[in-house]
Amino acid sequence: MHKLNVRQICFWLAAVLPVSRLIVYPATLSFRAGNDLLWPALWNLIAEGTVLLLLLLLARRTRRTFFGLLRERAGEAAARMTALLLALFFALAAVLPLLEQRGFVLQILYENVPSFLSFAPLFALLLFAGAQSLRALGRTMDIALPIFALCFMILLLLALPDADFSALLPVFGRGMGEQARTALFSLPWYTGAPCMLCFVGNFEYKEGCAKKVLLAYAIGAAATLSFLAVFYAVFADISFLQHNALAQISKYATALTPLGRIDLLFVIGLTLVLVISACVPVRLCVHCLGEAFGGPRALHAAIVSILLLGVTVLLNPAFREAQTFLSERMWPVFALFGYGLPLLAALFLREKKAHRSHGIEGKTPRKDLSAADRTRAPSPETGRTLRAEN
Amino acid sequence: MKKFARKALLFATGLLLLLFFTNNFGLIDIQKTAIVTAIGIDAAEEGGFDVTAQIAVPDASGADTASNVTVRGTETVGEAIAELNRKTGWFPTLVHCSLILLGKDTAQENVFRALDYFLRSEYVEDSCLVALCETTAAETLGAGSPIGDLASAAIAKVLSAEAQKTGLVSVTNLRDFAKGYFSEGESGFLPQLSALPQAKSEGGSGGQSGDSGNSSSAGGSGSGKSGGSSDVFDASRTALFVRGQLTALLETEETLAYNLAVSGTDMAFGDVTVYEGDREVIYHLKIDIGKKSQKLQIKGALPVLEFSIRAQAQVVDANKAGTRTEIAATAIVPDHVLRAAEERFEKELRAAADKAHATGCDLFALKQKLHRFHPKEYEALQENLLQDVRITCDIRFETMR
Repeated sequence: MHKLNVRQICFWLAAVLPVSRLIVYPATLSFRAGNDLLWPALWNLIAEGTVLLLLLLLARRTRRTFFGLLRERAGEAAARMTALLLALFFALAAVLPLLEQRGFVLQILYENVPSFLSFAPLFALLLFAGAQSLRALGRTMDIALPIFALCFMILLLLALPDADFSALLPVFGRGMGEQARTALFSLPWYTGAPCMLCFVGNFEYKEGCAKKVLLAYAIGAAATLSFLAVFYAVFADISFLQHNALAQISKYATALTPLGRIDLLFVIGLTLVLVISACVPVRLCVHCLGEAFGGPRALHAAIVSILLLGVTVLLNPAFREAQTFLSERMWPVFALFGYGLPLLAALFLREKKAHRSHGIEGKTPRKDLSAADRTRAPSPETGRTLRAEN
Repeated sequence: MKKFARKALLFATGLLLLLFFTNNFGLIDIQKTAIVTAIGIDAAEEGGFDVTAQIAVPDASGADTASNVTVRGTETVGEAIAELNRKTGWFPTLVHCSLILLGKDTAQENVFRALDYFLRSEYVEDSCLVALCETTAAETLGAGSPIGDLASAAIAKVLSAEAQKTGLVSVTNLRDFAKGYFSEGESGFLPQLSALPQAKSEGGSGGQSGDSGNSSSAGGSGSGKSGGSSDVFDASRTALFVRGQLTALLETEETLAYNLAVSGTDMAFGDVTVYEGDREVIYHLKIDIGKKSQKLQIKGALPVLEFSIRAQAQVVDANKAGTRTEIAATAIVPDHVLRAAEERFEKELRAAADKAHATGCDLFALKQKLHRFHPKEYEALQENLLQDVRITCDIRFETMR
């Protein structure tokens, strides 16, 4: 009962993951790639989608978690070490979204100049989210999807009258080299694959599940690309100056002038989804710490939240430097954990056909085994995970 | 106990979310709030800037009283804004600033020396309107408003989207002006604003005054309640900019032609003069633009800008006494009037283009079009594009049915 539902994973990919790419990412892309900003985004989306597909194939063949498989193949020490490294990676991956949100919330939602204290309560929420089960995190995705669908569509529609899509021409004006560099430097915004790696074995794989998940990812990718296109069509040559893209594109709608910035209602709606998206790496960091050290989840959640609060306070006056460091210096780390590790896991941790034919795990044996058999005989790793979740 | 802890945690989370999403815990009494509604920037005598902020203070009745505070002789606009805060105790976050006025002298140099500040700051909306004043920005903001205390409110009405729709004003906001400046053509335009004294009502002059260091308050507006001179604002002429510097001025008719051909104007009113017999007759027409397009083509290595405009017209008035039949059939525009309207439109459009291109202003964003749609020819043609471009007009007017 503490497993994630496939529906919730779909909602995460379609609604929550794209929102985390709508604040500073569009301006960063346009700074380097100019009117070619769609292409580096597309390369990354395709790469992430491919890794997700391979992870889904892994999930299809096993009911074990990533760490369960690792324990079986490489031993306890290797599994714990990998869990620790992944925990550190998730903590690192949470820094940029938190800094982005800090700037976004303090600059857009307040009319005066608020102190950092106004943003600090978010860390209490992260502590709460970190201490909950993955299933609870999944439930937030059920809330996120309708909010995202409504608010995102309205903001895009409000922005369309001001959009001049010819600004995206000429295609490939910046050259492939610059596009490749831009794609690499934007890797901190592509952390969906390691999250999915941690979800493997934590959701019930059913027939046709991969298609649904990939369709959801495609919808999320289309939403990201549409937003980027409209964003550049609205701002053209000054788009790299628009750091809070989510709140900028719709503010010129003339229909709203007599009413004021009514679009802020929808921006606030998407801010709620942003909060949910910030909870995901934090919760998975806690999950990995649990796999590495065991112990109470609340303690890990407290450690992670305090650590992130400290880092955010430390980097509060230096967002640009932090962003440059993370994207231009740390991109190999994001490439390794974002694409490399999930790819290796998907390729080398697959259950062998011999195992499957003996009815251990996988699609075919599941057909052979009755539901009662499956519930009666969980693998040791799966059982351990469920206990940890409890 | 566990259940209670969970409920308490949920409650605390809800409370924290409330704190996160609202600023209600930092409630400010609206009557003690000062809102900067407009900023005026003038060139100071020793270089630098004189910055005037029009500040609205809401009172108990819901009306706004205005005062203008000027900070003189600062090197940057940002410094002036900081000094406004230091000297007045108000921190102008400029979120409600919907208008930036540039004094005429600022346009002798690159105006982005001053406008940069608003692009850098996250606390200023780049949707705010921008205009160039015929005199100084401080004088314009100090003019009497016919619709209350705030001159900025009256100016914002003159520069509204509705004004743009009728083609009388080339409305520009900071985003569009900056887009033009940073584009391939490095050009842009701003409406030129003139305050025209209209009437003088009884009572003392409005506004408030006060000095603080090198800050001084200009006469605020106040015809609405306290009496004083009432001005109206005219923004029918358009100032052209190249690399941020003023280069030329489009007259009212040229502005109208430009708006009808290029910008978001769909409906406008204009005069056409024709000779009927030996008599000069002026027809006042309502013009409804049906279709319009402008396309840059490369024909035999020569750039050609093609305008295609389809419009419908209706007689609104004429300076002759019409017969009963003529008045009854007022919607029908005589054919010779339609042809005269087409000629007039083309003439004014060409005049606007010639004036802009002669001063190097890429009014029709030709370099941008060349770069976007003909990237291969861009390098070869962009240098002399404005001199070489040939303009063709296909303008047809019909009677509005």
